[in-house]
Amino acid sequence: MRVRLRVNGSWVEVDVEPHETLLNVLRDRLRIRSVKYGCGIGECGSCTVLLNGRPVTSCLVLAAGLDGTSIETADYLAKTELGTRIVNALLLEGAIQCGYCIPGFLVTIYAALKSGMIRRGDSTEIARAISGNICRCTGYINIVKAVRRVVAELVAIGAD
Amino acid sequence: MYDFIGKTFPRHDGVAKATGLVEFTFDIEIPDMLYGRIFKSPYAFAKVRRIDTSLAESLGAVVLTPDSVPDRLFNPRLVSIEEDTFKDWRVLTYTPRYLGEPIAAVAAPSEDLAQRALEALKVEFEEVYEPILDPFKAMAPGARPIHERIVRGRTWVEVRNNVAAELRYSEGDVELEERRSDVVIERRFHVPRRYHVQLEPKGAVCKPEPDGSITVWTTTQTIHNTKILISQVYGIPMSRVNVKKVPIGGGFGSSIHTNLVTLIAVGLCLKSGRPVKLVLTREEDMVHDHVSFEFYMRIRAGATKDGTITFGEFENILDIGAHQVQAYPLLGTALGWFVSLYRWRAVRYYGRSVYTNKVPSCAIRGYGAPEVTWAVETVVDEMAEELGIDPLEFRLRNYRGRGEIFWGQGPTVKSVIRSDGVPELIARGSELIGWRNRGDPRSKTGRYRRGIGVGRGFHTSGAGGPLSGAIIDYSGAIVKVNEDGTVDYITALQDHGGGTLDAHAKIIAEELKIPPSKVRIVWSDTATTVYDVCTHASRGVYVGGEAARRAAAEVRRKVLEYAARILDAVNPEALRVEYDRELDDAVIYVEGAPDRRVTLSEVARIAWQRNWGSISASVSYRATAAPPSFTVYFVEVEVDTETGIVRPVRVVAGADAGTVINPELAAGQLHGGFAMGWSWAVGDEVSYTEDGVPAHRLSVADYKIPTALDLPKPEEFVVLFASTYEPTGPFGAKGLGEAASNPVIAAVANAIYNAIGIRFYEIPITPERVLEALRERG
Repeated sequence: MRVRLRVNGSWVEVDVEPHETLLNVLRDRLRIRSVKYGCGIGECGSCTVLLNGRPVTSCLVLAAGLDGTSIETADYLAKTELGTRIVNALLLEGAIQCGYCIPGFLVTIYAALKSGMIRRGDSTEIARAISGNICRCTGYINIVKAVRRVVAELVAIGAD
Repeated sequence: MYDFIGKTFPRHDGVAKATGLVEFTFDIEIPDMLYGRIFKSPYAFAKVRRIDTSLAESLGAVVLTPDSVPDRLFNPRLVSIEEDTFKDWRVLTYTPRYLGEPIAAVAAPSEDLAQRALEALKVEFEEVYEPILDPFKAMAPGARPIHERIVRGRTWVEVRNNVAAELRYSEGDVELEERRSDVVIERRFHVPRRYHVQLEPKGAVCKPEPDGSITVWTTTQTIHNTKILISQVYGIPMSRVNVKKVPIGGGFGSSIHTNLVTLIAVGLCLKSGRPVKLVLTREEDMVHDHVSFEFYMRIRAGATKDGTITFGEFENILDIGAHQVQAYPLLGTALGWFVSLYRWRAVRYYGRSVYTNKVPSCAIRGYGAPEVTWAVETVVDEMAEELGIDPLEFRLRNYRGRGEIFWGQGPTVKSVIRSDGVPELIARGSELIGWRNRGDPRSKTGRYRRGIGVGRGFHTSGAGGPLSGAIIDYSGAIVKVNEDGTVDYITALQDHGGGTLDAHAKIIAEELKIPPSKVRIVWSDTATTVYDVCTHASRGVYVGGEAARRAAAEVRRKVLEYAARILDAVNPEALRVEYDRELDDAVIYVEGAPDRRVTLSEVARIAWQRNWGSISASVSYRATAAPPSFTVYFVEVEVDTETGIVRPVRVVAGADAGTVINPELAAGQLHGGFAMGWSWAVGDEVSYTEDGVPAHRLSVADYKIPTALDLPKPEEFVVLFASTYEPTGPFGAKGLGEAASNPVIAAVANAIYNAIGIRFYEIPITPERVLEALRERG
């Protein structure tokens, strides 16, 4: 079946099978490599993307039901002002090791900052917001520090 | 004072990784590629009668059976010298020995078609045997042999009682030392199989080239050993196999050997003559591909009243699963960790690796050190308590430190310790955690009880030594100066994410006095690099980094020769080199006449324009030591005596890594090392039903991996680096990756004891086990 999706700002039409996941469509049909396969059952968060602005694990979402929706992926969000801040903060805090899970974290962090799920910027609030994403390299400490850095920057420039 | 070493620079591949634009094996696509799938044995121990491929082939799939690959036994890990390499693997087999062992494989133009072809394969079994899952049952008289004969080196050897390998060792008079001891403690420890949970499942892409060679992209910690193994298994000259280095989504030992998936992809490619991509699902990776070793340890040790350790006896039974990856060398390193932790006056060791019908085990971060360190540090803690000596004082009196012989990587790799930060780390760490006020477990009451524990350990930096020994360990580096003064660094060494190659770039930059941003780390392959054994044994910075430094030093000599010509100096010795911040370049000048100066960029340009030739160097380097990187962890935990849940409260992670090259990334190794050690201590466990079916559910969800909520927050985690300098390392550096996790289980278990007064001899220390132990005590 045919679905129209607004992917990273542009409308595309794709033919999808009824059983096909959004992850497959993004990776295999649209060749968006920033969406990583980690577990296929929504547990690791590596394939997180924004669906109408909300984070979802794309391996659990069937593409056939997505006609007319908007999808944003890590590579696209990284180019926005907030995304650039997140990337820089991850880099400066040494939060990137093997890097496989990081695009998923980027999307989760972006969404949590946008939605106000992360507001105060304390470690517990951040840990809760990113607890759906698994990283086996960093112990999350430098990732949490990176988010704290972004929050501090946003406060400094007076952003809400 | 260094210009770049020890300073923070964003990692070279950071933006590409964060934005997801770095291509992992999973992301590689080649036009006209086929997709592979593997037929995995549904039984843990069986014999195949026949495989009917006709239906699968009629769908348009290429099918690989055991008949279509060379019948040649191999060991996927090529690190021991050949005489010590035990070979019992086949690419595909008619005798599956674990559930999930590959029997056949298919490749087709789409993933859907490949899956249909896979389902169309008809595999008929002649016999299904009762699987042997317990190593002690496997060794019992009358147990069915899992392997009858295997190859050691180039010789067939019989396997008796399912014992895959054995190692005995003794030193000194154990009986005499035991008689002299005032306290003797004997304990048995059990460590289950654990899964690595590297975030990227394994995969491979193999492409035939027009000249008849093949190119391979795959998840690996070693491209050269992958090249060699493909060449050996398929009988292709090494000059016709090119393995490309691809970023790896987490290693931790899971790809320390050449993965079966790689060899199967090569087989499918050779048969079809088309590019083939073969990647594992998480379930396949987790359940059918790899786990860590399972340990059954018995330790008996003694000490005298004055606090001197006397003897140690260590029995070590390893459940290795159905094939050997590194079952024999692990018997040696387990002994090495044991012997090198403390100054035993007498040692007796008996190690056995035993076959069972389970997924083959491979190394996991630390290669036995976290497990042995936990056992030894528990016994040492108990002895100290019994003798009434502070556990820190007891450790300081007895550990192996500077000037002593050390052989972490087993009996053939001995060297002398030259740098040691243990006293400093114990002094500073104990102060920070509040060791003196940790209290006695007997005085602690209430639902939530806190305790502080210590774990001290180490890991080697590589597996080098003054003698050649039984382990292959050397690295290569090529450094060349481009015509504008930028530098290309070409190495086969894999960076798992720890920042190893960023450290190398800084080492080269420091040697040449150019900024690290001018050093490009080239994504290389086996055809264009010199041999590097593997990124393992925490050798990346210490061995690979020294290879890079030596190549850079040679380049520096050539630069100075050319500069002497340009500056009309009598010889290069008259010259000095400095980093010039304003020019962001190395400046070479005549000592005493600083106006006679030239930048490295100018030297490179002039050498090109005047036909002097390129400035480059290629180095192959073997280290003559494998110095220990010591780590001391102080951990405070809180035990909820109603739920049994243990929570980390505070961590002080102290490391002696010599000179720290990447401070923020080195700290990241300690954060991650703690996280993994914590996970082993309280959560990780792979278990099986009686049919040999993995009983852990097939998801990351049921295999409890700590999330950000389960681990310490930044403000609860202190990292300490000892101020040491390792004279044999590049700019004084040693390894870190594995030392970062080795003493964690020990520190956590000792902290739990300090909280509730109960010692655990089996990990993981789950809430169920804590509650059961509390109930038993009453």
